[in-house]
Amino acid sequence: METGVPLGGYLAVGLMMFIVGVIGVVIRRNPIVIFMCIELMLNAVNLTLLAFAKYGPVNQGADPTQTAMAGQMMVIFVMAVAAAEVAVGLGIIMAIYRLRHNIDVDEMSVLRG
Amino acid sequence: MEATKNLIWLVLFLPLVGSLIQALLGGRIVKQLGPQKGKWLMGLLAVAPIAISFVIGAFITLQLTNAEPADRHTVVTLFNWIDFTSIRIPFETVIDPLSMTMVLIITGIGALIHLYATGYMAEEKEYTRFFTYLNLFVAAMLILVLGNNLAMLFVGWEGVGVCSYLLIGFWYKDIANAKAANKAFIVNRIGDLGLTLGIFLLVTLMLTSKAGHVGSDNRWLSYDVLLSLDPSLTGAAQALGNNPGVAFAIAMLFFVGACGKSAQFPLYIWLPDAMAGPTPVSALIHAATMVTSGVFLLNRMNLLFQMSPAASAIVAIVGAFTAVFAALIAFGQMDIKKVLAYSTVSQLGLMFVGCGSGYFWAGMFHVTTHAFFKALLFLGSGAVIHAMAHNQDMRNYGGLFKYIKITSICMIIGWLTISGVWPMSGWFSKGAIIDGAIAQPYSVYGEANLGQLAGYIGLVGAFLTAIYMTRMTYLTFFNKEERWRLIEPHHQAHETHEHAHHEAHDHGPDEHGFFLTEAPPEEHAHHHELDREHTPREVPISMWVPLVVLAACSLFAGIIMNRATEIPGVSEHQHVSAFQNWLYPQGLSQWTRLPEVPHEAPFGLSGHWFMVAISVAAVAGGLLGGILWYRQIHKNRLPVNEGWDTGGWNPWRRRAMNQFGYDSAMVSSAVEGGDQLATALWKKIDVGVIDRTVNGLGRFAGGIGKVFAFFQGGYVRGYALMMLAGVALLLGYIAFKMKEREAPPMEHVEISRRVASL
Repeated sequence: METGVPLGGYLAVGLMMFIVGVIGVVIRRNPIVIFMCIELMLNAVNLTLLAFAKYGPVNQGADPTQTAMAGQMMVIFVMAVAAAEVAVGLGIIMAIYRLRHNIDVDEMSVLRG
Repeated sequence: MEATKNLIWLVLFLPLVGSLIQALLGGRIVKQLGPQKGKWLMGLLAVAPIAISFVIGAFITLQLTNAEPADRHTVVTLFNWIDFTSIRIPFETVIDPLSMTMVLIITGIGALIHLYATGYMAEEKEYTRFFTYLNLFVAAMLILVLGNNLAMLFVGWEGVGVCSYLLIGFWYKDIANAKAANKAFIVNRIGDLGLTLGIFLLVTLMLTSKAGHVGSDNRWLSYDVLLSLDPSLTGAAQALGNNPGVAFAIAMLFFVGACGKSAQFPLYIWLPDAMAGPTPVSALIHAATMVTSGVFLLNRMNLLFQMSPAASAIVAIVGAFTAVFAALIAFGQMDIKKVLAYSTVSQLGLMFVGCGSGYFWAGMFHVTTHAFFKALLFLGSGAVIHAMAHNQDMRNYGGLFKYIKITSICMIIGWLTISGVWPMSGWFSKGAIIDGAIAQPYSVYGEANLGQLAGYIGLVGAFLTAIYMTRMTYLTFFNKEERWRLIEPHHQAHETHEHAHHEAHDHGPDEHGFFLTEAPPEEHAHHHELDREHTPREVPISMWVPLVVLAACSLFAGIIMNRATEIPGVSEHQHVSAFQNWLYPQGLSQWTRLPEVPHEAPFGLSGHWFMVAISVAAVAGGLLGGILWYRQIHKNRLPVNEGWDTGGWNPWRRRAMNQFGYDSAMVSSAVEGGDQLATALWKKIDVGVIDRTVNGLGRFAGGIGKVFAFFQGGYVRGYALMMLAGVALLLGYIAFKMKEREAPPMEHVEISRRVASL
């Protein structure tokens, strides 16, 4: 009597999004695209969190309602942090652009050891 | 006594206040009143505190003599200086015969020297700076002798050292003076180290033996507790008696301290160089104050030395050696002040012989008489130097008697006193020491009576003293030829030690000294160096009055202080010297293991015929031999053996001039050896070991850093990849571990369905 998307489906989509995000972060040099990829990874995680909130295992004796709520609250937190991070990150990118008229991350290597 | 005992604080603090006035107001007052009036006032303000201290001290001493011998001891406390649970050190003074004797010497002779200095330094620009130091010196010395505990003694001890440094280097613009001051200070530090360690060892002994805590109110570093034999106080005597080895060590450390201040053999080298200071300073350091502090320390801590006969024997032998060694060096000196400096070293050696033989009172007796006649000789030599345009070389003197009669007569009295002619004071005090040392059975080491040996060596020293003092007197005063008349124009004879003095002179209208009655000599402005037209002039009254007073003291002090008195409470027929009776009325032996010292007085009273005979032989032989020798030779021209060309000298006199190589050996071993040692330490240890270790550690860390710096490439994407790899590894590891472990049972339920069912 299973209806709807099973747990494995959510996880598979999340995994694919995450991998796309990782590959994007590693291979792209435009910080804005990197940010988008980071968002992609965060959202992949959000998706898995929600999936587990819906289907996930519950500890012996724990209240399943609370477990579900905890997963969803986590997603809210992640989105809030992601928004803040993007705000700061874009600010930094703007500052760097003003300074150097260039935002290629491979050029930003003055902090190398 | 009780009512007036607090007057002692006036004695102690007046010189200190005087010093502060000189330091804080002196310059302004001189500027306000003009150099002449200002210097007069500041001179008065410099002499007055010392003189008032002397008067008060004499008053207190008079009261002390009226008290019963057993009551001649009062402790006056001002405030608690250091207060811990285990020790309490009050700021307190002790009024007893020993401290008051020293106070009278310091303030009495100090006042005369201050008076003299107002004349001697009248042309000095930095007049008030000089008297600031001089008053401070007296104050430090008073703290040293009046303090009732070792901590206060130490404060005075160091204060005296600092002041001597400041005074010796008073004309600091001359590098030689600055070097002499440094030498005095550094050599004194060696002695101070000994004293410091001695005090530490004594404190450690007292603490470990649990002595001093019973009934002493924790004041166990105060003399009246520390040196007491009262069993209810538990002083140091018992602890020292139980640990003879420690007693010896403490006594030797205190002796090292005394050697430093009192210029005994290994450490005497600072004193002759201290002549670089102004002559009143030489008089103050050599006669009244600094050098006597070592003998004072031996007297004050005589308990220590009586607990250790071996240490006493060493004191006596070192003193005897110093007495002869310094006397021999004095033969090679041409500088009149240097001769006196070595004679001081020699006389101090005699005092140590007395103390080392258990005749502590005789040591103090000689301190007292020596203070008179050595101050006399130094101030007299200062007058001669003053009269001879600050030239100190005796080769330029000769026949001065007819020019400066007062100075000459005073100096001749000083010469006869230091030589030990009866009935002058030197005869009695030297006699007391030598007689005591030869008679005593005390500082015996094994079979050898070292104290007796020291006494005989001291007698040789006295013989030599009579000869070299005769030499000095004849070279200076008695000679037909006035040798400064032989000075060629621009002769090299101007190697005076007081060049800087001339630079410091004021050439303005302020050439009047305090009490300077005569008009200043006209030639002063242009006549600073001795030349053939020079006419020696008698010194101003402020300078010769102290000479006359000191000459009178030298003449009569001995016979007065050595008069026979009865021992209180003992048989009527036993007589002792008044000074001994005053200083140690109870005798030393009542509270120590010192064998009963024969209470017979030295020669002046009831001396053994043998002692009188050898003493007379030594003094008369020395004097007559010296007079015959130097009169014959010096009738006319300066002989080759005393001449300008030291190459013509007897080789032994040349060696004596160079202190038999001791000074240069000390300098080369201590200074240059220390330099080489320091260089070796620097190159081998510091650079070779320490620096290499530290640098090696740094390089090691740098190498490790280089390895990790490879990963810090500066590429954000590289970092991201590394993070990914790291997280993957970490997760893989966790997953691997989880798989090994039995996972806790989980309920796989579709939550939404659960929720719906609720």
